[in-house]
Amino acid sequence: MEDYDVRSAASILASVKEQEARFEQLTRALEEERRNVTLQLERANLPPNPPTSQPLAWQQVVMQEQSPSNATSLAMMQEPQEVVEETVTIEEDPGTPTSHVSVVTSDDGTTRRTETKVTKMVKTVTTRTVRQVPLGPDGLPLPEGSSPLGSYTDSIDRRYMKNGNDRFITPQATSTLTRSYNNSYNDSYGETPESQYVRHYGLHDGYADLTDNYGSLSRGVNFRPPRYPYLPNSYRPENSYTLPIRKDDYGHVAQPQVPMGSSTVDLNRSQPERFQPEPYGLEDDRRSLGPEEEEPYELEPDYSTANRRTLPGANRGRTHREPLRDGPRIRGYPDDPIEAELIDERHPYIHGMYSAPLAQPERGSMASLDRMGGRRSPSIDSIRKDPRWRDPDLPEVIAMLGHPIDPVKSNAAAYLQHLCYENDKIKKDVRQLKGIPVLVGLLDHPKSEVHRKACGALRNISYGKDNDNKVAIKNCDGIPALVRLLRKTNDMEVRELITGTLWNLSSYEPLKMVIINHGLQTMTNEVIIPHSGWEHEPNEDSKPRDAEWTTVFKNTSGCLRNVSSDGAEARRRLRECDGLVDALLHALQSAVGKKDMDNKSVENCVCIMRNLSYHVHKEVPGAEKFQDPSALQAPGSVGPQRKKKDDAGCFGGKKAKEEWFNQGRKNGENDKNYDTLDLPKRTEPSKGFELLYQPEVVRLYLSLLTESQNYNTLEAAAGALQNLSAGQWTWSNYIRATVRKEKGLPILVELLRSDSDKVVRAVAIALRNLSIDRRNKDLIGSYAMRDLVSNLPSGQQRPAKNLEEDTVVAILNTIHEIVTDSSENARSLIQAQAIEKLVAINRTSQSARETKAASHVLQTVWSYKDLRNALTKDGWNKSHFQPTVTATPKATKNGKPGYDDTTLPLMEKNQGTRKCGSGDMIPMDELGPDGYSTIDQRDKDCKYKAGDVSVDLTEREPLKNDTNRKHYIRSNRPAVSLVDACDVKPQPVDSWV
Amino acid sequence: MSFVPGQPVTAVVQRIEIQKLRQGNNLILGFSIGGGIDQDPGQNPFSEDKTDKGIYVTRITPGGPADVAGLMMGDKIMQVNGWDMTMVTHDKARKRLTKKNEDVVRLLVTRKSLEEAVKQSMGGFPRP
Repeated sequence: MEDYDVRSAASILASVKEQEARFEQLTRALEEERRNVTLQLERANLPPNPPTSQPLAWQQVVMQEQSPSNATSLAMMQEPQEVVEETVTIEEDPGTPTSHVSVVTSDDGTTRRTETKVTKMVKTVTTRTVRQVPLGPDGLPLPEGSSPLGSYTDSIDRRYMKNGNDRFITPQATSTLTRSYNNSYNDSYGETPESQYVRHYGLHDGYADLTDNYGSLSRGVNFRPPRYPYLPNSYRPENSYTLPIRKDDYGHVAQPQVPMGSSTVDLNRSQPERFQPEPYGLEDDRRSLGPEEEEPYELEPDYSTANRRTLPGANRGRTHREPLRDGPRIRGYPDDPIEAELIDERHPYIHGMYSAPLAQPERGSMASLDRMGGRRSPSIDSIRKDPRWRDPDLPEVIAMLGHPIDPVKSNAAAYLQHLCYENDKIKKDVRQLKGIPVLVGLLDHPKSEVHRKACGALRNISYGKDNDNKVAIKNCDGIPALVRLLRKTNDMEVRELITGTLWNLSSYEPLKMVIINHGLQTMTNEVIIPHSGWEHEPNEDSKPRDAEWTTVFKNTSGCLRNVSSDGAEARRRLRECDGLVDALLHALQSAVGKKDMDNKSVENCVCIMRNLSYHVHKEVPGAEKFQDPSALQAPGSVGPQRKKKDDAGCFGGKKAKEEWFNQGRKNGENDKNYDTLDLPKRTEPSKGFELLYQPEVVRLYLSLLTESQNYNTLEAAAGALQNLSAGQWTWSNYIRATVRKEKGLPILVELLRSDSDKVVRAVAIALRNLSIDRRNKDLIGSYAMRDLVSNLPSGQQRPAKNLEEDTVVAILNTIHEIVTDSSENARSLIQAQAIEKLVAINRTSQSARETKAASHVLQTVWSYKDLRNALTKDGWNKSHFQPTVTATPKATKNGKPGYDDTTLPLMEKNQGTRKCGSGDMIPMDELGPDGYSTIDQRDKDCKYKAGDVSVDLTEREPLKNDTNRKHYIRSNRPAVSLVDACDVKPQPVDSWV
Repeated sequence: MSFVPGQPVTAVVQRIEIQKLRQGNNLILGFSIGGGIDQDPGQNPFSEDKTDKGIYVTRITPGGPADVAGLMMGDKIMQVNGWDMTMVTHDKARKRLTKKNEDVVRLLVTRKSLEEAVKQSMGGFPRP
C-alpha cells in the first residue's frame, strides 16, 4: 500500500470521524437492543412454544428443537423489529465423510464434542448479521427503511483443528474475498479434497457509502485482520434476507450456541488447540457439526450482480432471492442472544478501530492497485496479515469450479472473477491452470447462479491485452457456448455479461470471424432488433418504437462494431444479416428523433454503419450494375464526360439525371438543375443492406453531424458520408448530390473547425470525396477553402490545433482535389493565403508525407498558367512550386530512413496485424487504465475503414496510420518547436520528455 | 480530479519511478505531457474537469522508460520529485521532468482508473 499516498489527511480524518460518529450511534442502539434482549430473555425463560402463526414461525420451531438457546428466538418473536441472523458454514475434511465428531447437547445448553479421529478438520464459519429488520407476514424482512441503525455483519471464522493439527488450511472467510455471501451450505460430504477449503466466501458488497474515505483505504490494509468485514451502515449482506431458509441451511447444525464469557461455559474453550484466539475477542467457539445429517444443499446464494448494480446501496441484494426450502427443520440453529450481545458490544470498539479498512475486503480493486505496485497473489495479503489464515490458492479455486455442489461452483467462479479483475497475471494463471474450459463448461449449467458467475469470470478474463486469454476461451468453444446461453437466458444481467464478454473477445482480430459465424444472427435477433425498436412487420396501428439504450444493446453493438472491421467478408456477412442494417438504421433514426445522440450505443451503431458503408460500391451484390465505366477509366479525377450507366430499372428519370450530372461536370455554373434534383423513385421500399446507401441516409448522418457532441459519433458519421461518396457508381453520385441538396456542405465545413483531430480528418476526406461532384467542388472551393487552410500548420510551428500528421495530410489532399481541374479554386486557395503555408510545409515540415502532399498542391497551382502572374506578384517563383530537393533527405530526417509509403503495409493488412489491445474492450465506465487510448485506438481502427476509401481517389497517403510510428516520428521532433507554440494563446501543447 | 478551491484535494495517487534512458547527450523519459496553467484546459482530452490545468500524460512511447515504469496515457502528474505539478506552467513541468542532472524521476500520478478502482472497492464486484 505504499503505492498510495493520502493526498489529504484532513479530508480522510474527517471521514473517519464521521464514521466513528456513526459507529457510536450504532453502539448506542445496540446497547439498547441488548437491554431489550436481556429483558426478553428473562421473560422467556420458559419452555419453547410450538410454532404459531407469528411471522417468525421458523424460529419457534428452532426453539423447540434447541431449547437451550430458545431465548433468542422468543425474544425475536416478541420483538420482530430485531432480527438476528446467523449464517454458519461448516467445513469438514471431506476425507472423513463419516463423522468422527459427535456433538452432545446437554440440557444446560453446553455442548460437548467428542472427536475420535485425528485427521479430522472442521471449520466453522459463522457470519452473523444483526440488524433491525421489520418482518413481513411471511417472515421475510420488509424492505429497508425503518432501520435506524443500519446493520453490521461480522464474520467469525473458526477452525477447529483436531488434535493439535496445526495446518491451517481452512480458508479464511472474508479477508480477501469481497463479498459476504452469507449463504451457508453444509458440505459435509464433499468429494473433492478442495472442498475443505472454501465453503464460504465472505464477500462484501455494497460499500456504497464508503466512497468518502477511500483515502484511508491504503492505510488499513496492512494491519487489518482479515476476518472483520465490518460494514458501514448501509451494508446489507446479500443473503441476509434468507431468514426462513437459513434455518434449513444449518438445520443440520445441531449445536447450541454457547456464549463465551457468559455464565455458560463453552466446553470447547477447554480445547485451546482448536480455538483460534482472535485478537479482538470476537472468536466464538461455536461448534456446528452435523456430519451425519446429509443435507442436500439447495441454497442458492443470491448475491447477484444485478442486484448490486441496480439497487441503491442499502437495498442491495434484497430484491431477488430464490425461495429455498421451507418447512420447519428438525434441528435448527439456535440464535444466541447472548453471543449476539457480546458481539454487539464489541462492535463499537471494532468499528472505531477498523473504520478505515472497511473497504479493504474488496480486494479485487485493491488487487488492481497492488498490481501497479508490483505483485499480488491471492493469498499473499492474508498471509502477511495473519499467517494462520489464508485464501484458497488459485488451483484450489479452479478445482472448486468442478465441485459437485453448485454454490461452491458459483462462489468459486465469483471469486475468480474478483481475482481476475484488472490482474493480468491471475488471468494468465487461470488460463495456464486450465481454468477457462471449466468456466466455459459452467456456461451450460442449468442454475442461473452458476452460469452467471462463470460468465462474469469469463468477462473479466477476456478483458485485457492478453489475447491468449481470448484465444483460450475460443479454443474451448466458449463463443458458441456464450451464444447458446444468450439464446437461452432471459436474465438481463446474464445477457449483459455475455455480450460484454463477446465484446471483449471481439477485439481480437482472429476471433472476429468466429464471433460472426456463431453469434451474428443470434446477437441481431436477440438483442439488436428487439432493442432497436425496429419491427419486421411494423404494426400500422402502433407507432414505431424507439430504441432502448440498454447495456446489452451497447455491448452487443460494440461487439458488432468490432467485428464489422474484419474485412470484406465480415462486412458482407453483417450486411446480409437479416434485419441488422434495418434495425441499426431504425435505432439511429430513433436517436435523432429523440435528440439523444451522444451515447455509446449510438456511437457503436454509427461506426457499424460506417464500416458497412465502406466499399459498398464494390462489395454489394449487383454493384457492378451500377458502376460508372467512365469513372473507372479515370479514377479519382473528374472525367469530363460521363457515359450512361446501365439502367438500374428501379429509378425513374435516370436518363435525365445523367444528363444533369454530365452537365454539372462540364459546367460547374450550371446549377439550376442541381438543386432540383429529385431522388430516384423506388418501386418497393429498400431493405437490408440497400438501406446503407440510399440517399435517405444522408439526412440521418447530417443530423448526427449537426447534433451530436460525441466526437466518435461525429467522426463516424462523417466517415460514413465519406465512404458513401467515394467510388464511382450511381449511388455515390446520388449521395454526393444529396449531401449538397440537404445542405450538408456547410455542416461539414463547420466541422472543419472542430477541436477533434479525427473529426477534422474525417470531414476533410469526406469533402474530398464529395468534390468529385463538380458542383460540390465549386462550392467547397468557394466556401471551405479558408477553413481548410486554417487547419494547416505554418511552417515549423504546429497548427493552431496541433493536428496530427494524418490530418494535415488529409487536408492537403483535399485541397489538392479541390484545386485540380479548377483554376477558380486554385485562385481561392491563393486568396486564402495558403501558398505561404504550403511552401513552408514543403520546405520545413518534418513529415515526408506532409511535404509530399503540399508539394502536389503547389505543383497543381503552378500548373495554372493564368495564375502565375498573380503568384509572381506576391513574390513567389517557380522554385517554390517545385518539389523540394530536400524532400528525400527529409524522410531520413524523420529518423526512419526506411519509412516510405510503399513499404508500409497496406491498409487491410495493417488492420489485421493491429493488436487491438484494450482498444476494443468494453470500456466499462472508462475504467480501464487506458480509458482514453482505448477509445482512441478503436477509432483509429474504424478510421482506417473510412480512410481507406480515399484510396479510390488518388493516393494512399492519408490512410496509413500507425500510432506507434506516429509517436516515433513525433518523438524525434525537437521538443522546442512543440513547446513554444504556447506563446500566443493557450493551446494544447505536448512536450516529449 | 475536480476540487473546490480552499478544500483539500483527495486523490488516489500512485508513485511511479522512471529511470531515464540515456541516448547520447539526451535523457529520455519516453512520454509527453500536456497541460499547465498557461494552457487551454478545455482542450485537454484527458481531464474530466475541463478547467483542470494540471499536467497530463498525453502520449507514451511504447517500450520506453515511462511505459516500463507503468505510466499511462491520461495520467495526471501531481508531483515530480516532490515538486507540485498541479499549478505550474507547461514549460516548468517540462523542465522539472527533464533535469539533466537527474537520472530518475519520481512521479506522483493519479488516474481515473485508480479512483474507479477504489470506488469499485466500495461499490461492488469488479467489472472490467
